[in-house]
Amino acid sequence: MTYIKIQQVSKFYKRRGQVTEALRDINLEFEQGTFVSLIGPSGCGKSTLLRIVGGLTDIDQGEVAIGGLSPLGAQKQKQFGFVPQSPALFPWRTVLQNMNVPFEVNTKGTGMKLEQREDPVELLQSVGLGDFVHSYAKELSGGMQQRVGIARAFGSGAPILLMDEPFSALDEITREMISYQLLDIWQSHQKTVLFVTHSLREAVLLSDKVVVMSARPGQVSKVIDIDLPRPRHADIEDNEQFHHYISEIRGYLREKWK
Amino acid sequence: MRSAAEEATMIVRQEVRQKQREDKLLVKLKLKFSESIYLPPAAAFIALFLLWEAAVRLLNVNPVTLPAPTAVVRELVGSIAFYLPHAWVTLYEALLGFFLGMAVAITAGIFMAHSRLLERMLLPIAILANVTPIMAIAPLFILWFGFDALPKVLIAAIITFFPMLINSIMGFRSIDENHLEYMNSLHASKREIFTKLRLPNSLPYLFSAARTCVSLSVMGAVVGEWSGSTEGLGNIIMMSSNYMQTERMFSAIFMLAIMGICLTNIVRFIEIKLLSWHVSSNRGI
Repeated sequence: MTYIKIQQVSKFYKRRGQVTEALRDINLEFEQGTFVSLIGPSGCGKSTLLRIVGGLTDIDQGEVAIGGLSPLGAQKQKQFGFVPQSPALFPWRTVLQNMNVPFEVNTKGTGMKLEQREDPVELLQSVGLGDFVHSYAKELSGGMQQRVGIARAFGSGAPILLMDEPFSALDEITREMISYQLLDIWQSHQKTVLFVTHSLREAVLLSDKVVVMSARPGQVSKVIDIDLPRPRHADIEDNEQFHHYISEIRGYLREKWK
Repeated sequence: MRSAAEEATMIVRQEVRQKQREDKLLVKLKLKFSESIYLPPAAAFIALFLLWEAAVRLLNVNPVTLPAPTAVVRELVGSIAFYLPHAWVTLYEALLGFFLGMAVAITAGIFMAHSRLLERMLLPIAILANVTPIMAIAPLFILWFGFDALPKVLIAAIITFFPMLINSIMGFRSIDENHLEYMNSLHASKREIFTKLRLPNSLPYLFSAARTCVSLSVMGAVVGEWSGSTEGLGNIIMMSSNYMQTERMFSAIFMLAIMGICLTNIVRFIEIKLLSWHVSSNRGI
């Protein structure tokens, strides 16, 4: 059953009298529990699309429905766990206190209640941060901070996670390690994820669906289903099919260069 | 049996070792001194006072012009029962003014950070109050409010107000865009964004202003006392100036300096305790 439905969505930016078309006629449908990656060149509007779904940016045309709710309606009901590019941890709170933020605000929203939540310490342990529960953000490396951001989103009780290039500021080795951790934590939670990325490898490794986008104006050029068995582990990168998907996506991205 | 030569080398070795040990101790002491927070300034103060004392004695300076520091300390300690009530009055006026100014500034800051229009309307008034010399307003306040504590409290409050206002507006406004977007993704209310994001974000700004303002408020109280008062350290300075009681004047100045140092350090101490998460709280003043 369709869970997130994006219909004929267009978005314009007006700046100094000039109108830029950020997104044109986007049509997408995702089922609950799917991991979807949005991939494309800079300026293709993938982050904008993510923010539209999350109710953080409004649209000029079209319609978005999330389980029958508008993006803003879903936001009011605390349906979203947002993982921005920088981890957005409050420096005056410890890691554990940062994990509590989703339960402290908008308590009228029908999000998960504090009593029903998953043990945040266990969650942090599952991403290898068991020893840093009471540390402040400045005491953690960039990779560790981003892992807290991911654990916070999974622990918030929100059914939809919106991740906006969460690994882009990290070095290659840290990136690879965190992508496997994300794979594991997703496997045990099975949430619907929208994941914006520049990395072909991450897109194929993590996703059930990869949405390839092109720029100026932002459009969907192809939606590819990734039929690799789950649960996936590091050895999947030896799979021939894995590399086949990567070259297929690269092909679609290149097509637009011409 | 050891030969005499061996015996001699052993003694030399021991002496060398002893010397090395002493050197190490000296290095350690030097390190301890240079790394300590209190020792270097204390040493500088002692040097300054010794110089002052020596100058007064050797040059035979008239004590009405400049009393020796020992004479000042003798006067201060000897008549402490006279000075303390006055110091208490000044401290009371300064702190009351400080807290009043801070409370009004933060409240105004909340509104002005909230609305650019309010800021554009009210900030010029605040700037006007700030650029007008406080010395010029003080006599007016005495005229309006009399010789009691009230005009001094108000002057201290006015001095405190402006730096606190500017820093609180900055602190409430200068939040990380990512943090704000994260809060919005949870549909946090304006009030929640204020209490959970803007307010904690403003604390380093508020403390940095408070550190300056707390000593400024003492100045405000003293200026108020100059303009018209019956008690307080500012009053002592005024009176002793009229009667050329320089020792008494210096005693009051010493007390004001000590008061300023204590107040600034108390604010600093609270800041370090409260803002351990903040980068600048680890550095010196």
